[in-house]
Amino acid sequence: MKIKDPSPDMKKRSFLKNVLNGTVAGCLYLVYPMGADSFEIPEQIPGIRNKPYDIYDQEFAFVVDITRCIGCGSCCVADKREFNVPDGNYRTWVERYVKGFSDRIYVDCPNGGLDGYQSPRTDIKEKIRDTFFVPKLCNMCREAPCVQVCPVGATFTSPDGFVLVDDKRCVGCAYCIQACPYSARFINPETRVVEKCTWCYNRVRKGLLPACVQVCPTGARKFGSLKDENSEVYKILKGPGVLTVLKKEMGTWPALYYKGARREVV
Amino acid sequence: MGLSYKVRLILVCIGIFVMVVLGFFFKTLLIPDSFGVYGPFRADAIDEIVEIPIRHGTNDSCFKCHPYEAKIHKAGLHKTISCEFCHGTYADHVADGKKTGVLPVKTGEQITTLCLRCHNTEIKARSEKVIKTVAMPDHLRDQHVKLSHNCSQCHNVHAPLKYINRAKQITGLMEKGQ
Amino acid sequence: MNTATVSAAMVSDSIGSATMLISNYVFPNDLHVHWSMMIVLYPYITGLVDGAFIIAALYYLFDVKSLAPVARFSLLFALAFLCCATIPLLLHLGRPERNFNMLLTPSPSSAMAGFGYIYAVSMGVLVFIIFFVYRPVLVALRKSSRGWLKVLYRVITLDSIDLSDDALKLDAKIIRFLVAIGIPIAAVLHGYVGFIFGGVKANPTWSSPLMPVIFLFSACVSGISAIVFAYIVIAKVKSRPIDHECIVTMINTLTGFFILAFSFEMLEVFSHSYLKTGYHHMVEGLLNGPLAKSFWFWQVKIGSVLPLLLLGIMVLFKIRSSLYTFLAAGVSGILLIQVFIMRWNVVIGGQLMSKSARGYTQFHPQWFDKEGIIAVIIVMAIPFVILFFLGKIFPFWDKDNGV
Ligand code: HEC
Ligand code: HEC
Ligand code: HEC
Ligand code: HEC
Repeated sequence: MKIKDPSPDMKKRSFLKNVLNGTVAGCLYLVYPMGADSFEIPEQIPGIRNKPYDIYDQEFAFVVDITRCIGCGSCCVADKREFNVPDGNYRTWVERYVKGFSDRIYVDCPNGGLDGYQSPRTDIKEKIRDTFFVPKLCNMCREAPCVQVCPVGATFTSPDGFVLVDDKRCVGCAYCIQACPYSARFINPETRVVEKCTWCYNRVRKGLLPACVQVCPTGARKFGSLKDENSEVYKILKGPGVLTVLKKEMGTWPALYYKGARREVV
Repeated sequence: MGLSYKVRLILVCIGIFVMVVLGFFFKTLLIPDSFGVYGPFRADAIDEIVEIPIRHGTNDSCFKCHPYEAKIHKAGLHKTISCEFCHGTYADHVADGKKTGVLPVKTGEQITTLCLRCHNTEIKARSEKVIKTVAMPDHLRDQHVKLSHNCSQCHNVHAPLKYINRAKQITGLMEKGQ
Repeated sequence: MNTATVSAAMVSDSIGSATMLISNYVFPNDLHVHWSMMIVLYPYITGLVDGAFIIAALYYLFDVKSLAPVARFSLLFALAFLCCATIPLLLHLGRPERNFNMLLTPSPSSAMAGFGYIYAVSMGVLVFIIFFVYRPVLVALRKSSRGWLKVLYRVITLDSIDLSDDALKLDAKIIRFLVAIGIPIAAVLHGYVGFIFGGVKANPTWSSPLMPVIFLFSACVSGISAIVFAYIVIAKVKSRPIDHECIVTMINTLTGFFILAFSFEMLEVFSHSYLKTGYHHMVEGLLNGPLAKSFWFWQVKIGSVLPLLLLGIMVLFKIRSSLYTFLAAGVSGILLIQVFIMRWNVVIGGQLMSKSARGYTQFHPQWFDKEGIIAVIIVMAIPFVILFFLGKIFPFWDKDNGV
């Protein structure tokens, strides 16, 4: 029972071919205002564009809903592509947790989740109670240990709450890497300075969602402004659901919240 | 030189002092201008980060030039999936409103691998509420087809139930007609 | 990646309730050890500086007369190593050319930011101590030397040949003053390295207020051992008489410092294992797993218990002076290595433990890396070259004053 009907595709194809062959219609078609200029793309975070950005009056939050994550690794792929992250380093990654009936926890994260999870774990001898995925990224701590320890002021918390790295001043001492309880940082082997997830600050300031949020097919990653009462994260934070942060005992006050995270998640 | 030892020592002290003062003076010259505007860091760094070009557009960015896929995609159950995850980034494909690069299009086996990344029941971590999963090759057995079939032979990748729903309609009609 | 179950037997069968169960999962960014051998070397070198300076301080400030033969040498030794203290750091930095940012914009909140200033001050103080200590010698040498050496001597002695009682008394006062401020500076220079580690709350093996103390005492141990060892070796090579009194004093001091250092090192481990906080299982697993050999066997058994026994014998019993000298050289040699291993276990060992608290990564030293073994050997050789040249300018021992 082969249902697939290729004809629409074909039509489309030949149409586009004609376009490329330089028909007048084609020219018009291509002159669509789709420039590299991101402002052609509809705004995703309301209230950023067409308005002066008051850097002191902003508050953003990131919510990861573990119950919705399917471990497809779209976010990891998007992140790697968005920033050309060198192999072996991860701005964001997705871990797989397997909980056995003995309460033992088995975690793995092959290639940071970039290839997704195609096969179940076979090396676990006991019966499995539960399996879930945990996306990880920069926690944007309000009391960021990395900012505290940076000797040259290359890592800083910007007034709008983002922990960012000044790649022109970083000396590459890696002290911040030691200080980060979440291991969100790494030294980029090409630039030899430290790099980390910025919650796509460059996109956010252009009114776009972080790349990982935007590609997430299930809405497991949510990002938004807490100043905007209509934003999803505002509603989640306001609502009664239990949200947790990672490694609370570190006193880092992350702005990254987890929904549905078990206590085994670190 | 007839200076006494003590005077020489005092001169050394003054020398050190002058050097320290000069050092701090030159230090202030070398600190970047925007350092300290918001705190002990370079404020310009924020603007530099903002200016990093984005590489992912959004699905909306694809729709304008791909109206055919757009229509299907928006209507289907895959509307939440990003075109760029399956195909590659906007920046690799389009610049200044013109197509500049060829995006890879998956074929055959690759498509199955791609689909199973999200739809594999085996992984056991995918909530039924979030996504429907299939176990391979049982899914193909259920449809009574050869196990070498790729997902895209029955599912339109951009709207997975498109053909299936249509087929159901047709078979439903036919049943009625008979 | 690390899906394999852990090799060491620390998988916690016993603690059913604990959530920190281990499946040897290492955060993907933790697989790489970021602070490698150069950061082992750096505290080792500043430690040698510190210990050597303590010997000099004992003589110049606390009037321990028996140390006279080595006092000047230890100052020069400290200087030679202090000159090289920044080399490992520069080799380690991803962007060494930006190192001046540390001086330009030191972040007030960072422990590391003070380094440039503390280093500069300690360098200044040490150099001036040496100038004043050597002034009478250099004034004499100035007459007998020629060429650029003469110019150098004139500059160092401020072109003054004033060796009157008044001037010498003033010198003595200045030296005492400089040494007195030198001690806290040296303590800060090294203790703060300990604090850099002790202040990392994300790493349970490091974050401990004891860390600066441990670093400081083990620094004294390594520095004093180095002086003992170098003194004996140089004397043997040049077949010079060895001052027994001097060695005894140094060994006694060494014993004191070593007992303190070892006690604190062990206190750290025992308090971890007694407190049994959440991370204890990780630390325990680290010491009994990846570090079992380098910590328990090399650092504790061979590097600490054995020298402690030997030192005990040397302090408590009367031993022939030739055997004593031999033992002194042996013990100080072992302790030099012990302190290096200890630094290794702290710096690299501490990073083997992933912040996932679920697994350990591995570290394989490279030979030809920028931070590799060859580089370590070269960096460790440079101070000796400097020392050799310093010896040409400042005679080490009392008797070669050449006056
Ligand atoms: C689930 C992954 C997936 C998503 C999401 C997706 N595509 Fe595709 N797309 C494919 C695959 C696989 C093919 C190959 C089609 C086939 O062989 O049936 C394809 C084919 C195409 C083609 C035709 C290429 C050719 O030369 O045949 C275009 C154009 C296209 N996609 C555009 C888009 C656009 C625009 C979007 C977003 C609205 C999108 N795709 C979303 C997987 C995807
Ligand atoms: C400026 C208009 C434009 C935009 C915007 C655009 N495309 Fe295309 N795309 C084209 C043209 C023209 C082709 C060539 C069509 C052909 O050869 O049939 C094409 C072809 C493709 C193909 C087939 C492989 C190839 O490269 O020839 C894929 C897949 C594709 N586009 C995906 C996307 C996705 C995903 C986006 C959104 C990020 C996107 N396109 C946005 C114009 C555009
Ligand atoms: C990035 C992850 C992802 C990939 C890759 C993916 N899908 Fe989906 N798929 C989804 C999501 C999310 C839904 C929508 C679930 C919903 O909204 O109920 C979905 C829905 C579906 C459905 C409809 C299920 C239902 O609810 O009845 C089918 C069929 C399907 N996908 C088939 C495929 C096929 C075939 C492929 C390979 C071309 C594929 N999917 C690739 C994520 C993915
Ligand atoms: C022979 C055609 C055929 C092939 C090949 C095929 N499917 Fe399906 N699939 C179907 C049909 C028909 C349905 C609808 C079943 C129904 O509604 O009961 C379906 C339903 C699904 C569903 C929804 C299941 C549910 O519980 O509602 C998913 C997910 C899915 N397919 C994924 C895949 C994936 C992934 C592949 C490739 C590995 C694939 N399919 C290959 C025909 C096929």
